[in-house]
Amino acid sequence: MQLAQVVGTVVASVKSPGLEGVALLIVQPLDRGLAPVGGAVVAADAVQMAGPGELVYIVAAREASLAMPEPFVPVDHAIVGIVDAVTTSEGSP
Amino acid sequence: MKLARVVGTVISTINVPVYDGRTLLLCDLIAPDGSPGDGYLIAVDTVGAGAGETVLLIDEGNSARQILGATDAPVRTLIVGIVDVVEVSPGEGQESRAEAAPARPTRSRARAKPGPKPAPKAASTAEASTRRARSRRSA
Repeated sequence: MQLAQVVGTVVASVKSPGLEGVALLIVQPLDRGLAPVGGAVVAADAVQMAGPGELVYIVAAREASLAMPEPFVPVDHAIVGIVDAVTTSEGSP
Repeated sequence: MKLARVVGTVISTINVPVYDGRTLLLCDLIAPDGSPGDGYLIAVDTVGAGAGETVLLIDEGNSARQILGATDAPVRTLIVGIVDVVEVSPGEGQESRAEAAPARPTRSRARAKPGPKPAPKAASTAEASTRRARSRRSA
């Protein structure tokens, strides 16, 4: 799992069966200092509460689709939690 | 499996139900000799690891779900062990033996007996010596 920030939303009216009603958000993966790392990806919102600007954690690969209401769907990144705080030994980033 | 060092925690109240009541730890990946590796991972703790400890990570979904006993959980990264010592067999150069820090017994002792904070005690000692010095001066 990795930290990411929601930077946008994706609206798709035609989706693969099983993805109806699933919010798709653009997330930017972050390093542990909360600096962007790599390119942004589209992630399905499994918590159904995340919105732009929020710090979340995402799970990738096959496990992402397991977070969906219908577990056999073509999803490879899913938001599985909204982060309240990240604490490190060097202090909060 | 991967070697990592626990560097912090991730606190979250809104999450997928499988994470309820579980500790998420921020783990920096490290090389066998203890030097920084490639990136970090957020892992679910299953062994009671703490900050600063070297741990063993699983980053594979089927194993993770099997350990948690949750067949359909969106979990992939778990802490499955706390490393005491990593020993790399000597190659061309010198022998490499990286002690995982801090040692586990030290941590358990620290947890079992919190003890009084040293700072106030030191302050009171300093105060006492000042008082002694003052009384000496007045006498």
